[in-house]
Amino acid sequence: MTLPPFLRAAIVPLRIMMQDRLAVIGLCVLGLIIAMALFAPVLSTHDPRHINEIEDGSVLSRGVDGWELQESLGPLALNDAAHRAGEAIIVGRGGLAWAREGTGDWVPLDLPTEADLHAVALTPERRALVVGEDSVILLREGGAWTPVTAPEEVRLRGVVWLDGASALMVGTGEEIWLFDADTGAFTEIDSPVGRGFPLQSVALDVDGTALIVGERGLAVRYDPADGSATLERLGSTRDLNHIHIAEGGAALVVGERGTLLRRESAESGWSADDAPDTRAMRAGWIGDDGQAIAVGRSGLIMEWDGTAWQLVPTESERHLRALLVTGDEMLALGSDRFVSRLLPPSREHWFGTDHLGRDLFSQNVHGSQIALLVGFLGATLVVLIGTNVGLIAGYYRGRTETVLMRTVDVMYGIPFEPFALILVLLFQPSLTIVILAVSLLTWRTVARLIRSQVLSLRERPFVKAARVAGASDLRIMYLHIFPNVLPLVFLELAIIVGVSIIAEATLSFLGLGPPQAISWGGILHDARLSGAWRTAWWWNLPPGILIMTTVLSVFFISRSLEVVANPRLRARQ
Amino acid sequence: MSRRGYLIKRVLQAIFSLWIIATILFFLFRMGLPDPTAALVTEGLNAEQRAAIRAQFGLEEPLWRQYLLFLGNAVQGEFGTSFSYRAPVADIVWERLANTMILMLAAIVLAYAIGVPLGAWLSWRRGSRADTTGIFVGLMFRSAPMFWTGMIAILIFGVGLSILPTSGMRTLPYDADGWWDKILTLDFLWHAVLPVLIVALYYLGSPLLIMRNTMLEVYGEDFIEMARAKGLPERDILYKHAARNALLPVVTQLAVTIGLAAGGQVVVEVVFSWPGLGREILNAVRTSDFPLAQASFLIMAAFVITLNLLVDILYTTLDPRVSFQ
Repeated sequence: MTLPPFLRAAIVPLRIMMQDRLAVIGLCVLGLIIAMALFAPVLSTHDPRHINEIEDGSVLSRGVDGWELQESLGPLALNDAAHRAGEAIIVGRGGLAWAREGTGDWVPLDLPTEADLHAVALTPERRALVVGEDSVILLREGGAWTPVTAPEEVRLRGVVWLDGASALMVGTGEEIWLFDADTGAFTEIDSPVGRGFPLQSVALDVDGTALIVGERGLAVRYDPADGSATLERLGSTRDLNHIHIAEGGAALVVGERGTLLRRESAESGWSADDAPDTRAMRAGWIGDDGQAIAVGRSGLIMEWDGTAWQLVPTESERHLRALLVTGDEMLALGSDRFVSRLLPPSREHWFGTDHLGRDLFSQNVHGSQIALLVGFLGATLVVLIGTNVGLIAGYYRGRTETVLMRTVDVMYGIPFEPFALILVLLFQPSLTIVILAVSLLTWRTVARLIRSQVLSLRERPFVKAARVAGASDLRIMYLHIFPNVLPLVFLELAIIVGVSIIAEATLSFLGLGPPQAISWGGILHDARLSGAWRTAWWWNLPPGILIMTTVLSVFFISRSLEVVANPRLRARQ
Repeated sequence: MSRRGYLIKRVLQAIFSLWIIATILFFLFRMGLPDPTAALVTEGLNAEQRAAIRAQFGLEEPLWRQYLLFLGNAVQGEFGTSFSYRAPVADIVWERLANTMILMLAAIVLAYAIGVPLGAWLSWRRGSRADTTGIFVGLMFRSAPMFWTGMIAILIFGVGLSILPTSGMRTLPYDADGWWDKILTLDFLWHAVLPVLIVALYYLGSPLLIMRNTMLEVYGEDFIEMARAKGLPERDILYKHAARNALLPVVTQLAVTIGLAAGGQVVVEVVFSWPGLGREILNAVRTSDFPLAQASFLIMAAFVITLNLLVDILYTTLDPRVSFQ
């Protein structure tokens, strides 16, 4: 078989490389990483910059030291819970509901609806009412759930049983409906305001009346004795989200911006408490012994210690919407979409998420682009400058050489890392300046090496022959000498690719990388800055391993290139 | 060329290099930070006070006068007052440089003390599994970025096992009379373990691989054959005959490494909060403390050049084969 000479020339080094097992591994790994960079958009499971949110049927339980996350109840948010006579029911979004007898396991209920459910109420006779969006009203009678047709379109937010047969429901259009479970009849009660303010919650007071709360501090008391609804002043104009009244008469209303309204007993008046946090609170619970809890968005939980509300630390970001207190057990329920921060690796996020809920697998995949771009571009630039300087200095000698090599000497006096830092900091980080910072000093080694090689090559007979034949200096340099230093050039290229990748990672780690770019060093910078790296091992490990693997594979390749460049090494392998 | 002539030439070269670097530095800073006192606005200084500082650094003068002023001050070791420390820059920089040097020298000594014998041993066991593993581990630590290995080491030894301190040079608060008093304590040694180890692991690869490869070359030489023929034990041949002759390239590499040591490893200093010169440069430029940044860099470069020079001179003394050219 005959091959063109340049191909035949390429085969020998290739065969030498193929004999080195480490070099083959290096080539394969580098190939994989290059493929990763090229196909990053396809490979990544998420947008690396997207802040991921998830919904979850979260349950937090009050333990000895604080509130602890329990196993989730399904993938949908939990909105309300009720318990009576040993039975507890939780309702949530998408027609989801869970029931529990005594202290058994939660069992999903099969409800004839897909609408979001907002409230649930139980009677001692095990009648149950569930209300929600899209006019959904479900009545359980003797174990079977039956839909009740609402008299008109409504989005119901609260429900309470007034006695064993009649229940009061409130909705977002200021609807107050009295429902008779025996006859299935609805009575619409006129609200004293009548301006369509959304009503959020209703609770049964100790005197048999019902207290309804809603937006803009609205509170309405319904008296079933005469069927009247009257306005009540609780002392707040903020949106009120939830009311709970204990059997002894203590009551708690919670609302937006840290609104906490408390009543010690049925006789005492309402007072507004100072909240230690002004986020929105979605549910409250109060006991007659003075115990009280309020929960809200982003894992907010406050407890009343008898004199003041105290923030209770929770390690959860979940938005809490309901409280379920049965005996000693206290459960906080949620959660609508919350930012999935610092999640450990899972099937959804293979490498977990960072402090902003961004997918780390996708970030790591995209990080390969910058690493390889800076690595190869920087190294090409370095080798281009270094080789030419070396060639010219070695070939011309004399004054040219002195000037060039003194320049190289000066550059050896400049510490690399600090110089790159100063350059990037003075001229604002950008991809160009990072590549410049990486390559501006590194060519000094290449220039020295190539020059020393050229010094001996220029005295060889073939150069002299070319000169005698009348070849120009450029022709001798680039056509006769250059091919002979080519293996060395490739060797240096490989080494400097590794050096450049580490240099880029270093700059990015110090927060000086190309802005807006995702890079391995940048991921570690974020991790260190957030302080979460001490616990989130999934955040630290992958970028470092990727940098190491990439550089290592380049080193393996360069080792076998060294054998190609220096035939003396071949003998002793 | 005579030895004396060589020395003079090298010293002149070093001074020339330093002058060039100082010049580059001066113009780099003037280009990047046209008004260095702009950063002082946030410090609550009014226009008059800023003008005073501008006058102190001669910033109102024409550029060439500024340049001469800068060079003149630099020669006298006068670098002005740090914006953020409100103290003479020179004092700060010298202490930081000492901190960097003790970290780097300890790490380099450790790396070569382990790497050289280990490399010799690997060459003796060439082709074995130990050899492959040794090369692999050496290259692995050479490839891993030090800030990452540092973070992992902190995670394991600082956070996980909590047996080693992970930040600073001493447990705070402490009082010490001067630098040596600070250094010559067990507490300091304890703090230095992790950073020194991380830098040493990074440097380990060079002596290991160079020693191994040179040893392999030396094995082919006649005098080794001779030693074998005399029936000397392999161990003696390895360490007494081969290793001594393979040391030269390692020493060359050691010289280069020490020469660049003053440049430090900025990331290691950052990760371990080591109050070194590299970290100081980073902080200084971040806070636009330009007198400190400029002086730190210049002194660092001066130190690198001086070390290079010393190592060169030492080298020519140690190895008579190196010609004075």
